[in-house]
Amino acid sequence: MKLVARLGLLALVVQLAVSAQTLERAEDLWRARDFTSANLAFRALVAQHPEHLEYKVLWGRMFMDHGDQDDVGNASDIFKEVLQVDKNNAGALLGLALMAADVYDGGAEKLARAAIEADPKLLEAQELLARLGLEDNNDSKATAEARKALAIDPHSVVAKAILASIDWLNGKAETSWDPHAALGYSTAAHFFMLNRRYDEAIQYYRKAIDLDPNLWKARSELGINLMRLGQTDEAMQQLADCFHHGQQDMATKNVLKLLDKYVNFVATKSNLTVLKLNKNEAGLLRPYFQAEIDRVIATYEKKYKIKLDRPVQVEAYPNHDDFAVRTLGLPGLGALGVTFTSRTYGSTIALDSPSGRKPGAFHWDSTLWHEMSHVFTLTITNSLVPRWFTEGIAVHEETAANPEWGDRITPEILMAVKERQLLPVADLDRGFVHPVNPVQVIVSYYQAGRICDFITEKWGWDTILSMLHDFASQTDTATVIRKELGIEPADFDNQIRSLIEAENKNTIEHFDQWRASLKQIAAADKAKDYDTVIKLGSAARDLYPDYVEDGNVYEFLANAYLAKNDKPAAIAELERYMKIGGRNPDTLNRLATQLTAAGNRQEAAASLDRINYIYPMDDGTHTKLGALWLDLQNAPGAIREFQAVVGHNPADPAQAHYDLARAYHLNHQDSLAIDELLSSLEAAPGFRAAQKLLLELSGGENETAAAPLKKRE
Amino acid sequence: MTRLLALLLLAALAAPAATFYVTISGLGGEPDYDQRFRMWAQDIDSSLRKAGTADPDILTLIAPTREQIRTHFASLASTVKATDNLVVVLIGHGTFDGLDYKFNLPGPDLNGAELATLLDRVPSARQLVVVATSCSGGSIEFLRKPNRIVIAATKTGTEKNATIFARYWAEALRDPSADVDKNESVSALEAFRYAQRKTKEFFDTQKRLATEHSIFEDTGKGAGVAAAAAPDADNAEGRLTASFTVVRLGANVTASKDPAKKALLEKKEELEQAIDQLKYEKASMNAEDYKKQLTRLLLELAKTQEEIDK
Repeated sequence: MKLVARLGLLALVVQLAVSAQTLERAEDLWRARDFTSANLAFRALVAQHPEHLEYKVLWGRMFMDHGDQDDVGNASDIFKEVLQVDKNNAGALLGLALMAADVYDGGAEKLARAAIEADPKLLEAQELLARLGLEDNNDSKATAEARKALAIDPHSVVAKAILASIDWLNGKAETSWDPHAALGYSTAAHFFMLNRRYDEAIQYYRKAIDLDPNLWKARSELGINLMRLGQTDEAMQQLADCFHHGQQDMATKNVLKLLDKYVNFVATKSNLTVLKLNKNEAGLLRPYFQAEIDRVIATYEKKYKIKLDRPVQVEAYPNHDDFAVRTLGLPGLGALGVTFTSRTYGSTIALDSPSGRKPGAFHWDSTLWHEMSHVFTLTITNSLVPRWFTEGIAVHEETAANPEWGDRITPEILMAVKERQLLPVADLDRGFVHPVNPVQVIVSYYQAGRICDFITEKWGWDTILSMLHDFASQTDTATVIRKELGIEPADFDNQIRSLIEAENKNTIEHFDQWRASLKQIAAADKAKDYDTVIKLGSAARDLYPDYVEDGNVYEFLANAYLAKNDKPAAIAELERYMKIGGRNPDTLNRLATQLTAAGNRQEAAASLDRINYIYPMDDGTHTKLGALWLDLQNAPGAIREFQAVVGHNPADPAQAHYDLARAYHLNHQDSLAIDELLSSLEAAPGFRAAQKLLLELSGGENETAAAPLKKRE
Repeated sequence: MTRLLALLLLAALAAPAATFYVTISGLGGEPDYDQRFRMWAQDIDSSLRKAGTADPDILTLIAPTREQIRTHFASLASTVKATDNLVVVLIGHGTFDGLDYKFNLPGPDLNGAELATLLDRVPSARQLVVVATSCSGGSIEFLRKPNRIVIAATKTGTEKNATIFARYWAEALRDPSADVDKNESVSALEAFRYAQRKTKEFFDTQKRLATEHSIFEDTGKGAGVAAAAAPDADNAEGRLTASFTVVRLGANVTASKDPAKKALLEKKEELEQAIDQLKYEKASMNAEDYKKQLTRLLLELAKTQEEIDK
C-alpha cells in the first residue's frame, strides 16, 4: 500500500511539472543546449497540446540540432507524423528538406519547394533553395533564389552570405553582400569546403567563431576540416571543445573517436610524402605503397608539367568506417578514396586499406593513381577545377596507368546509357553533388571518365592541360568546351552520347540474352554439365566482356575446361579474365598455379604480382611469388615478397626469416642473410635448413658470431 | 620454458609410445555439410597416413551411428596400452541446450557425458580430444580431465553456427608452416594455434563477424582458454598441449634410437637449453652481447645437428 501511495504522489508531481511546461521554457533549454531537459519539455508540451503541430515540428528541429544518430531518426519520424496529420505542413516539409540537404540527397529541392508552396513566406525554405543552387555551382539559380529570400526578409544573413559566396568563390575579394555575421561566414565556409577550397573554408570558419565563439556547429566544422588536412592536434582541440559544450552530433563524436585511434597508426616520411598506415599492416604494405607513391608522383610531374612543392600524405584505413569518418565525419561512405588539397598544408589522400574490403572488391593501386591525379588537378587549378572534370581525369588516369585497372562498366551504367540518363557536360557536376539516386554518381564517374578519354584521344592530352588552366582562371565548363574543343557544349554532348552508345550497343541490345545465358551457364556448372558451359560460354562472354564480377563467364569456362582436363584452354580463359580487368585474387592465384604447372613461371609470377596491387594481405601469395622469383633469379623481387611476409607477423616466423635470408643470399647480401638466419633460428633453433645455410654463410666458423648488427647494404 | 623443453626432450628420448587416431565426421544434415565434414575427416586420415602412421592406428568414421562408435571405442579400450596416446577428432554439428552437449549423428546423438565415459575407458597415458563442432565449448565441462587435452571450436555452448575450425585443423597436419619450432613434428598447441589463426583470417577476409572462437583446456579443471599461459608457469594451460605431438613431419625420431649418438644428443640438449635460457635473458642484455652469444650457440647447435645427421 505504501508503494501505491508513493507512486500516486509521484504521478501528481509529474502532472504538475508537465502542465507547467511552456514553449518558451522548452526553447530556452534548447538554446542553453540542455537537450535532455529540452526533450522532456517538448515531450510534455506535445502531449499536452497535440493540436499544436508547430510544437512537434520544433521538437523535431531540436533533435536535428542535437544530431545524434538516433536523433536524426527521431526527427524524421516526428516530421512524418506531422505530415500524416497535415500533408502540407510547411515546417515538417522544411525539416525533411533540411535533413535531405544535409546528406546531399537529390530530393531536398522538391521538399523545399513543397514547403514554399505551403508557406510562400517560409524564409528558411527559400534560403535552402538558394543553398542547393549554389551547391550545384549554379550561380544564376542560386542568385535568383537568394534574391527571393531577401524579398521575404531583406536582413536574411544566409541569403546575403550566399550572394557574397558567389562573389568570393569567383575571386571578388570585396562584395556588397558581405553578411558581417558569424552565421554568414559559416555559410560561406560551407561552399568553399564543397568546392574543395579548404584554406578559405578554414579562414571563414575561423572568422565565424571569432564573431561568435558559441557557434559550435561552425567550430565543429572547423575541427573536421583541419582533420581532413591532417592538422590533427588543432582538430582534436576544437572538437573536444565542441563536445564539452554540448555539440555532440555524429560527425563531432566520430572524428574525436577516430583521432583517438591514430595512436595505432605509424607514419613514415620520404622526401615530400608521408605514408600513414596501421601498425599491424605497415610492415607488409609500406614497400608496395611507397614504391607506387614515388612512381605515380614521378609520372604525373612529367605528365602535368608541374613539380609538387607541398607535402602529400597518404593514409590507408583497414576499417572502412574509419576512412568514411576521416572523409565526411560519418560512416557509410561508398567511395574508396578521397583527396584534400590545401595551399597551406599540402595534400592528403585517404583511402581504404586493401584489408578494408573483401579480396578483389578493390584495387588499391588504381585508387591511389586516381586520387593522386586529384592532387595535381587541384594544385594546377588552385582547387577551381569543376568536380566532373577532376573526377573524369582521375578515372581516365586509372586505365591510362594500366588498361587492366579502373572499373568495368556495370549493368547499372548500361541501363543508364540505354535509358539516355547521361547528363549534359555543363550540368555534370550535379551528378556528383546532388545525385537523384545512388546510381547517378556511378554513371557520372563513368561518363566523366569517358569524356576525358575522348578528349585525350581526339584533341590530345595537352588539351586536357589547357582546359585545366582555363578552369584555374575561373572559366565555366561551357566556355572551356567552346574555347578548347571548338564546339558547342550541346554538340559535344551529342558526340559523347553517340560514342558511349555505339561502344556499348552490342551489350545493351543483347543484355537480356546475356543474362539468360549466364543463368543457364550457372545451372550447367552446378550440374557439372561442362559441355553446356563450354557451348554457351564463349558467346555469352563476348556479349558482355566487361563483366568480371562474381559469377562471370570467364571463371565458369575455366572451371569447365579444367574439368575436361583442357588446361591450355583454361589458362587462356583465365588470362582473358585477368587482362579484361578481373581482380579476384583466388582466380588470379588459380591462373598462377596452372601457369606454374605448365612450366610458364615468368607468367605465373606476373599473375601473382598483380595480386600485390589488389589484395596484398595474404602471406601465402607472397611466399609463393617469392619462391617463384627465387627460382627465376629475381633477387630484388624475392626480397620484397619475403620482406612482406616477415613484416606481417607471420604464423611461421622461422620459415619467413629463412626465406628472406635465401633471397638476400641470392642478392649477395650475406650479412643481411645471416641476420635473417639468426632471427629464423632464434624462433626455431632446430630448423635444419636454416642451420645449414648459416653454416654455409659463416664458413662453419664461430668467428661469425661477431656478424655485424642489422645494417642495410 | 626450460622445464617444458626438458619434458619435450624426455619424450623424444623415451621409447616411442603408439598414438591412436580416431576421426569422426558427423551428420551434416544437408549434402553440402555432409560433403564438407567427410572431406575434412578424409584430409586428416590422408595426412596421418602420409606421415607414416601405421594403418591399424588410424580409425576414420564417416557419419557413423552412436552404436557403431560405442563398438569401436570398446575395441580401442582393449587395444590401447597405458603408455599409448589417443587422439579423437569430432567434425560436424553439435548442440548445447544449457545442460548437455550433443554431437549430431545419424540416429541418436552422442552426448557429452557418454563421450567422456567412452574416452575414460581407453587406458591411454594422454588423450587429445578435438571437438570441432558448433556449440563445442559446451563439451569442455564433460570432457576435461587430467592428462586429457580438450580443444573446442567454440568458446561456449552458445556459438551455434556451423564451424570451419576442422578445415584448418586438418590443414595443420599437412602444412609444414604449422611446425613453427621446426622440430619436424606438429604439437597439439601448434596445430591449435594454426587452426585458430586461419579461422580468424577466414572471417576477417570475408568481412564477416566471427561466429566461432576456439579454446583448449589441458589442466583437467579449467573452463578453457584461447591462448596458452606463459609456458614456465606452474600448472598453466598449455603445457600438456605443447608437449603432445599430433603428427611427425620428418624422420627426427631415428637419431634418438642410435646409442652411438647419445653424446651428441646430450650436447644438443645442453645447447638448446642454453639458447632457451639466453632468450629469457634477452630483455636484460645488451643487444650486441645477446647477438654474439646467440650466434655462437646457434652455430654450435647447427654443427652438432650436422654431426647427428651424418
